[in-house]
Amino acid sequence: MDREKRLLALRNRLAYVEDVFGPDGNDSIRVLKARAAEFLERLPHFPQADVEREFRRIEELLDFSEKKLEKELTPMDRVRIVRHPQRICLKDILENVYDNYSEIGGQGEYNIDPSVLIARAIISRRVGRRVVNQPVLVIGHEKGHGEEFRNGGSAKPWGNAKALHYMKVAETENIPIHTYVFTPGSYPVEDYPGAAQQIARNLYEMSALRVPVVAVFSEGGSGGAEAVALADRRIMLSHGYYSVISPEGAAAIEGRLRNGQRADSALVERCARQLAITAQDNVANGYVDRVVQEPPLGARPDHFEFFKTLRREILQATNEVVSSVKSMKLFRAMALSSRTHRKAALDPESIYVRWDLSNAARDRLLCKRYQRFRDMSHHAYRDNRTFMDKIRSGLEPLCWSLHSFVSYGLARGMRKRVRDLAEEVSAEAFLISERVVRPARKALSRFSGPDQPRAELGKRAKEALTRLSCPEEGACINGDSWVWMSGRAREDRAVSCPNARTHGCPDLWAPDLFSEFAGVCPCCGHHFSMEYEWYFYNVFNYAEAQEFNADIESGNPLEYEGFDAKIEQARKRTGRKSSCVTFETSLDGVQVVVASLIAPFRGGTVGAAEGEKFILAAERAQKKHYPFIAYVHGTAGIRIQEGVNGVIQMPRCTLAVRRYIDAGGLYLVIYDTNSYAGPVASFLGCSPYQFAIRSSNIGFAGPGVISETTGMPVPPNYHKAYQALSRGHVHGIWDRREIRKNLYQVLLTVGGRNLYYR
Amino acid sequence: MLNIKELLEDIKSNPYKEIIVRSPHTGTVEFAAGKSGDMVRGRAGTWGEKPGTLLAHLTREKNKKPIYAPEKGEIVNIRTELEGAFVEAGQELLTLRHYLTRKEVIERILKQALFLFRAPERAKYYFIPEVDQKLKVSGKRSVKVFEGMDMLIVSRMKRETPLAYSGPEGLIYSVYFHRGDNVDEGEPLLGVCPEDQLSTIQDVVARVQSEWEEDE
Amino acid sequence: MSNRHKILIANRGEIAMRIMCACRELGHDFVCLYTPEDKYSGHVELARELGGEQSVYKISNYLDANEIFSVADQANATAIHPGYGFFAEDFRFARRVVRRDRPMIFIGPSWWIIRDLGDKINTKRIARSLGVPTIPGSDRPIYDEMEAESIATHLFEFQRAQDIRGGMVLVKASAGGGGMGIEEVQDPDQFRSVFRRVRNYAKRNFNDEGVLIEQRIFDFNHLEVQIVSEHGGKRHVHFGTRNCSVQSTGKQKRIEVAPGFAPAEVPYAFDADRVLDEITRHSLAMAEEVGYDNVGTWEWIVTPRGEPFLMEVNTRIQVENGISAAISRVGEQEHVDLVREQIRLGLGDTLGYDQSDVRFSGISIEYRLVAEAPERDFAPCSGRILRFQWQEAPWLKMYTQVPKNGAYEIPMEYDPNLALVIIWGENLQQARERGVAFLDSLILEGEASGHGFSSNVAFLKARTQGLLEF
Repeated sequence: MDREKRLLALRNRLAYVEDVFGPDGNDSIRVLKARAAEFLERLPHFPQADVEREFRRIEELLDFSEKKLEKELTPMDRVRIVRHPQRICLKDILENVYDNYSEIGGQGEYNIDPSVLIARAIISRRVGRRVVNQPVLVIGHEKGHGEEFRNGGSAKPWGNAKALHYMKVAETENIPIHTYVFTPGSYPVEDYPGAAQQIARNLYEMSALRVPVVAVFSEGGSGGAEAVALADRRIMLSHGYYSVISPEGAAAIEGRLRNGQRADSALVERCARQLAITAQDNVANGYVDRVVQEPPLGARPDHFEFFKTLRREILQATNEVVSSVKSMKLFRAMALSSRTHRKAALDPESIYVRWDLSNAARDRLLCKRYQRFRDMSHHAYRDNRTFMDKIRSGLEPLCWSLHSFVSYGLARGMRKRVRDLAEEVSAEAFLISERVVRPARKALSRFSGPDQPRAELGKRAKEALTRLSCPEEGACINGDSWVWMSGRAREDRAVSCPNARTHGCPDLWAPDLFSEFAGVCPCCGHHFSMEYEWYFYNVFNYAEAQEFNADIESGNPLEYEGFDAKIEQARKRTGRKSSCVTFETSLDGVQVVVASLIAPFRGGTVGAAEGEKFILAAERAQKKHYPFIAYVHGTAGIRIQEGVNGVIQMPRCTLAVRRYIDAGGLYLVIYDTNSYAGPVASFLGCSPYQFAIRSSNIGFAGPGVISETTGMPVPPNYHKAYQALSRGHVHGIWDRREIRKNLYQVLLTVGGRNLYYR
Repeated sequence: MLNIKELLEDIKSNPYKEIIVRSPHTGTVEFAAGKSGDMVRGRAGTWGEKPGTLLAHLTREKNKKPIYAPEKGEIVNIRTELEGAFVEAGQELLTLRHYLTRKEVIERILKQALFLFRAPERAKYYFIPEVDQKLKVSGKRSVKVFEGMDMLIVSRMKRETPLAYSGPEGLIYSVYFHRGDNVDEGEPLLGVCPEDQLSTIQDVVARVQSEWEEDE
Repeated sequence: MSNRHKILIANRGEIAMRIMCACRELGHDFVCLYTPEDKYSGHVELARELGGEQSVYKISNYLDANEIFSVADQANATAIHPGYGFFAEDFRFARRVVRRDRPMIFIGPSWWIIRDLGDKINTKRIARSLGVPTIPGSDRPIYDEMEAESIATHLFEFQRAQDIRGGMVLVKASAGGGGMGIEEVQDPDQFRSVFRRVRNYAKRNFNDEGVLIEQRIFDFNHLEVQIVSEHGGKRHVHFGTRNCSVQSTGKQKRIEVAPGFAPAEVPYAFDADRVLDEITRHSLAMAEEVGYDNVGTWEWIVTPRGEPFLMEVNTRIQVENGISAAISRVGEQEHVDLVREQIRLGLGDTLGYDQSDVRFSGISIEYRLVAEAPERDFAPCSGRILRFQWQEAPWLKMYTQVPKNGAYEIPMEYDPNLALVIIWGENLQQARERGVAFLDSLILEGEASGHGFSSNVAFLKARTQGLLEF
């Protein structure tokens, strides 16, 4: 019996090693395999006495080989480790790290989304004489050792919604949250609540979640990971990966593959290496606080020692977060911090910190969380602002704050009082005139005979009715033409509307279409995409706008092969230094801050520079009490060549936006052309006011990715703005020619309490 | 009663339909590929999102527009002498020999079995909005028609007049006109199946389904 | 003129035929278009006869500008004549003609003039800025309720002052047309609610809340002034006035008479000569001011009190140009052909005469023979013409695309116009008599499905009696 078990374990270990090193394998594995085969063959013939010794020998060999192979692990091998069915999963952790738990929000297969597991868990500790039970909420992805219905830990939108729901519960109950990220990515369907929109909602809520959150990364696949990973402490398992995209996905993009063709494994390996996805890389970049060392070749469910380490790390992390914001710290905090410096002086098990927080501590927690993410990824972009500029950018916000405080805080009250008084006085005066002057005039007119002669009246009326009104506007009031005209309007050629087949639209002449018609088919209303300059000049009054931070420049932080040249090319073609353009402008007299993602610069992808500019713009809008408009001319997602430096902009920018909205601002998002992936699933999708321009596409993943992941064909209109509207992802669809009118209307009617013109 | 067997035999003796592909408007023609005898396919995909085989390009006012094969078939006559030449609207470009699909055969035979409501005059026809909506949402066979029911709008010489249905009560089984196309006087507009004959009709469909082999 | 041009005729039927003839007279070549529905039309036959097979092109649609330019390039045309209808008043078409990589001459006014005068509101504003009388009311879309109310109040006051009983105010959506979104108000107290209703309607249907407010004018006569201007917009002459008050439902003109009034034979309640003089004077002044540069028509309405108001300007040759030509003589020339004048001027020729050279004589009536049923609300009728005969006379001109006695299919896609009949008489009495004589002699037989073939001959005859009476 024991022998059978041992044999099975042996076989499993062998298979695991083989799987991890992929189809090509290496010499050590081949040796190991040969030895194992030999052992298995000879096993039945061993004399009973030798069995034990032989077993030990082969197991020792395995131990030795695992240690040896550990050193040879490539990033792609690590990817294979985390995806292996034998890898530990959340259930194992719940059983081995926590002392007791009950699963909530579904059981096993009977679950709104079996790939997201939620549990209330207890950590019991002995403090002096008594045992304390500390409750936590555990949220994470469950891969279930390859169970089909778990969907590989790929959370559906409603799974993320469930996670959010219980985060709010934890907030109410004032208990910390431990999240475990075991996901290759989110399941990219748009059905309500929608992959992108739900992740954005999660990020938005987590930005201001008033309880400590500790996240543990094993497999952190892009947006799906972020949905539960915006945390105060981020721990990573040593064999995990945390990446902007799966290496296969990156290779497919790199190799420009379509229709589900597979990239060759060498390219995938190269991508995995370049994306800086390992725990070490992420610690070095500052996106993860600590690494939990796993046994050689990764933790499997029978590595009990590992669970102990994990438990220690989690307790430590939670304690740290809590004590850093608590007012009563004293020795425990010192003890905690000393441990981080000197390593292993005190076991966190023995330090007891209460995990519930006072209101003041919760405020501090949020502040720290914001600051934490705010401080990340500054190394990943090039700041070309001059020294003076930087000084200015440090000082100016102080002036803005002061100015806002004086003019909207102090002066406003005073002004209001004066205005109220003036109103009262004029109302009084009106009443007096009604009572006194009118009867007098009437009496007077009775003396001077009847009303003015009729003919006189008619003449006056005629004069009013036949004279040119508003002569200052000139006699011709033909529709004003656009300030900026597309270069395509200079080509003498006809263009076909894509809806011609279904709507019978006639061919359009490019000079009409791209100038007067503003790129809108007059027959069916299809919007041809227009250059971003069109919107800048015709909608946002760019000619008189003040652009800022133009010198923050996109770089190549991971030294991704060949990417320097691509960035240089984009810079040359657009004359801009990043895909994010931020400026301050005036819309019919209302001052606003605009941040725009422009498609011609690397597809409007977001990297560290773009994120930083976006945050600076949000902060500026907040300080100046201006509305903040994100005009998305187009974005293909996070810039994959920046790896996690890009992904981290999702929580970073969302935090900034959340702070701005909580401060009483108006954050408005306008989608144009194509907006996909990360940005939509974070700082754009979280806006309470999102509008799309007609004929735009909004979504999480492109049709190719969806059909590959879900195996379902994707209808051609799946991502169309009108679909997004019916799914509740956007709140209105605007005609391009009326954006300005609609914008003004929105500025007047929606938004928070702290806008300067309110 | 219909003699389905005979009808089928009749169709089988000439199971092809000639489709003439014409230039939709003026322009310069460039044939894409293909010669007589080549096979082409028609529009495909769950939502008809994949266009058929590219037959030619027609360039007008520097706008190069593709002409796709409307149906599956074999190219029988391709006017290669027009390559690079300016053509007028409606010029024959090539002819396809289309092997009738099961669906088309069913439609053909059903025309004999259903009650046909015919166009009273040459005009454009379309459904009144309520019927149109119902057809779009629930599909054909969901609309029951009866004598005197307002069903179509006749659009003629810029004027629109309603047209009431006349004939036996039943379900709309086939629609023979397209929105925006002219229908000649006497051409069938609708095929209506009286409810008591539904089983007969389904029988016909089943027979053809099993007997007509589609050439793949 | 030495330049020989090739003029592409972007039109069909009667006007295409007249343009062809004019081209021939002036020594220019032409290119003619037709659609599959029109293959039996007289204009195709005439084009083949005058220009040969290579001057005729088959296109898919007259309303697709790309077809026209595609053929123009292929045939190497140097100018385009839009005729009336279709692209005649489409400033974008005119703009494209001159702005293409291979520009051509657009035979008609400059595109910016078509644009500025093509918009009724704009025309009203231009007129007001020049002191030309327009209908009392707003001259731009009104969005504000207070402003609207003040205009309405003025209107009611004004009508009361003029003793107009049952005075009414029209409230209409400025983006509307064809009678959509128009309401009348008689009671000032109801104005506000009607205004809101129209505004909401406009917002819903045209996505523009703008509303116009005007005096409602009853029982007016519809007059026009024919203007001919030289290229460059320097010299302008008028070719008299026309009266187009006989219309079918849907405001389609059916009988037109030149000149606009006949004071010698009909007693008017106002000084008709003064009115005619006033509208020609104003029209000329306005043409002068905007730099009008081709043939055009100033449309007026005249109230029973003899007040003229400018309605709109038609920046094209009109269907009824023939009657103006019939009563006009230039110098020693026997008759004027306004289509020919239009082409000549459009290609850059000078006018060659001035107002004093233009003399008027007699009265001319135009009938529009249409295959329609006046008794059934002028329902159009398609089908075949079997017999079409009439008695020729020196005072009669027929413009028709229907082959004489030939079989002709009335295409379903276009208006069922059959012919334009122009009759001239020394005075109104004679013109009417000749008109009736013509209609009596006309043989028109056809067959059609549905309600059968019908034409408006009886309607035309009935309305001939009261012509020009007001």
